[in-house]
Amino acid sequence: MQWHSQMSEGNMEVVKPEMKSYIWLQTTDGSIQQVEEEVAMFCPMICHEILQTGMGSSKSYAISLPQRVNPAILGLILDYCRFHQTPGRSNKERKTFDEKFIRMDTKRLCELTSAADSLQLKPLVDLTSRALARIIEGKTPEEIRETFHLPDDLTEEEKLEPLRNITDDPRIRLLNRLYARKRKELKERQKLKNVEVEEEHVDDRSVDDLLSYINGGDGDTKGTRAKNKKKNRRRKDQNKDSSSNHSNGNHNKELDPLPHAGQNGDLSEVFVGCPSKNSTSQDSAAVTFSPKLEFIDGDIDDDLDPAMKEELDREVEDFARRLNSDWPERMQEILSLGQERRPVPVSINGNGSASRYTMSM
Amino acid sequence: MVVIRVHADIQMGDFSGADLISDLPQSIIESILTQLPIRDAVRTSILSSKWRYKWTTLTQLVFDEECVPRNERTLFQKSLVNFVTHVLFLHQGPIHKFQISASYLQSCPDIDQWILFLSRNDIKELGLEFGEGQWFRVPSCLYNCKKLTQLALVRCELDPPINFNGFISLKSLNLHQVLVPPDAIENIICSCPCLESLSLSYFDSLSLNIHAPNLKCLYLEGEFKDIWLEDTPLLVEMSVAMYMTDDIAEHFEQSSSCNFVKCLGGVPQLERLSGHIDFTKYLSIGNDLGRLPLTYNHLKTIELYEVSFEDMKEMLVVLCLITSSPNLVELHVSCSNSPAATDDPDLDFWEKKRSSDCLFNRLKVVEMTDMSGGLQEMEFMKFLLGNSPVLEIMSIKPFVYDMETQLNMLIEL
Repeated sequence: MQWHSQMSEGNMEVVKPEMKSYIWLQTTDGSIQQVEEEVAMFCPMICHEILQTGMGSSKSYAISLPQRVNPAILGLILDYCRFHQTPGRSNKERKTFDEKFIRMDTKRLCELTSAADSLQLKPLVDLTSRALARIIEGKTPEEIRETFHLPDDLTEEEKLEPLRNITDDPRIRLLNRLYARKRKELKERQKLKNVEVEEEHVDDRSVDDLLSYINGGDGDTKGTRAKNKKKNRRRKDQNKDSSSNHSNGNHNKELDPLPHAGQNGDLSEVFVGCPSKNSTSQDSAAVTFSPKLEFIDGDIDDDLDPAMKEELDREVEDFARRLNSDWPERMQEILSLGQERRPVPVSINGNGSASRYTMSM
Repeated sequence: MVVIRVHADIQMGDFSGADLISDLPQSIIESILTQLPIRDAVRTSILSSKWRYKWTTLTQLVFDEECVPRNERTLFQKSLVNFVTHVLFLHQGPIHKFQISASYLQSCPDIDQWILFLSRNDIKELGLEFGEGQWFRVPSCLYNCKKLTQLALVRCELDPPINFNGFISLKSLNLHQVLVPPDAIENIICSCPCLESLSLSYFDSLSLNIHAPNLKCLYLEGEFKDIWLEDTPLLVEMSVAMYMTDDIAEHFEQSSSCNFVKCLGGVPQLERLSGHIDFTKYLSIGNDLGRLPLTYNHLKTIELYEVSFEDMKEMLVVLCLITSSPNLVELHVSCSNSPAATDDPDLDFWEKKRSSDCLFNRLKVVEMTDMSGGLQEMEFMKFLLGNSPVLEIMSIKPFVYDMETQLNMLIEL
């Protein structure tokens, strides 16, 4: 007697010594498998089909599985079912198995989630969606897009609203505003010039240049401040001198890896947006910011008296310094957030016996 | 030289391969987003056009200290409040669970508005935990949350209106450090017919009379003047940590009711009993416990901590309990270190009992902690050992500082 492999697609019927009963399953590509009954019945959808329609008892009456289940994924699902439907496994064993089971590339994990959902296998759906959540957690938007092949098809404006100011960090807002301003200006310039010049223009601008340009260069793009052009240029030089000393070295490491403006300006995983929708509403948009910050990119009057100018310089310096000092902490934060899941905080009962408290609901 | 590349163009997805995840069914997306910290979930809105509003229909919103980046303390409160307000504002659809807990969270007017908003959006599970400081006075719109099934408040003030009819669907109530007018508590409990789990902690001088026909779990901690489980036939699990001050004890001298019966008289389904601090003492006060009509057929675990072995009345309570529980499996007892009670201990108490034919046929685990080797304790242990045919584990942990008596104990046993 020859024993044939049980998973081959073909016309072979396998004779098993144990007299188990089998269910026949067909995936959308046409291939048919047979599976031990108790394993197949672990899937509610299959179970339902068997009980309702009586299908699956032989090869010609194989149960058609939903489209999202391809043979490879089916194999995985059946492994899962086979392990978990065995009684007498300890919780620890199951957990260990689950942890190992979901170690696979993201694409496969997504397919598995989808397939498990179509088979209504809730425990597996929970397991896989938890794994996907862990993948997403702590990542920057770019990383997430890359992992899941998401198109970056939101416009800049759309990215910035309506969730702007959702986290309240004035320093980050400042930087984002600067970036957004810069982006806008470049976009406008692009309309006038050709691409090559654009790129040239974009490269190699130091941060202090950027800051001073933005500080002094408002008159370029804002119609209301056309009269300030000359004065702005003067101020620009002054600002350049003062701010270049402070912000030159500081911004080096921190800002270099920062994402491009085409993506979200995602400084240290905080999502903050720029308040301005269009250039003319610039003035009114800065409502939520502290008055000090407004001076930097808001209405800069003709004659900045020295006190205000100093304040400006101090602001930039302070900002640069704090950015510098915070970065290691923030990196820690990113790393730690990415690695572990924080438990629900604060057990409010002193006695740690049965967890029947709604704070952990 | 620092280089900042500023791309003015929008980058279209230049990765090969189709989108892996955006077209999964909404239920899966919600399942994934619910398992993310709320901040990460909200940030998915900038991933792509399909993801823009995926998070806004989440029905579970859980906020905590992680929601806002670490900052100086003064900004925390404002950041967190702003964040929550924005999230609520952008949210669409029902919200079934809302929970916020932060050690620096203080009362502020925005929070009242959150509760109003939630009351209009079918809130079912609500948890508010505030930090130290001024306690949050719960606004009246809370009492309009008709669908509430779980309520947990920490450091709040509750003052239900006179015509409050209770939460019809409330199953779980958890109040910790909550200021409530004394009669209001009983009313709330009475008027929630579905209540299954009740937890009250940090209450002062509360006299509690519980009518809760569906109650299954009870947890009490604090200074209670009186605990009367008048109508709790389905109670399965009970844990009481009770502080008795001297004047409460005096108050009992004059009363004639039997605390044991009042407290444990109406709980035939009880499976687990846990008593801490002065609970055994509380139970011991009252009338004669000799003839106890009640049998706890389901009681499997008894934990009595800080029992004073010198006090005969407390001993009687312990005896009563364990002899009325034929199916007892686990017994945990710890000894209180307070000085001996006034009554002369009956030295033959356990000796006498040992010969009686009450066997603990199911008792498997006994754990004695904080033992100081006193005679009564030894006798009690002998009693248990002698009457427990299936005992598997007897664990004795002596009170740390008394080394000599430990050895004596072990030798005797």
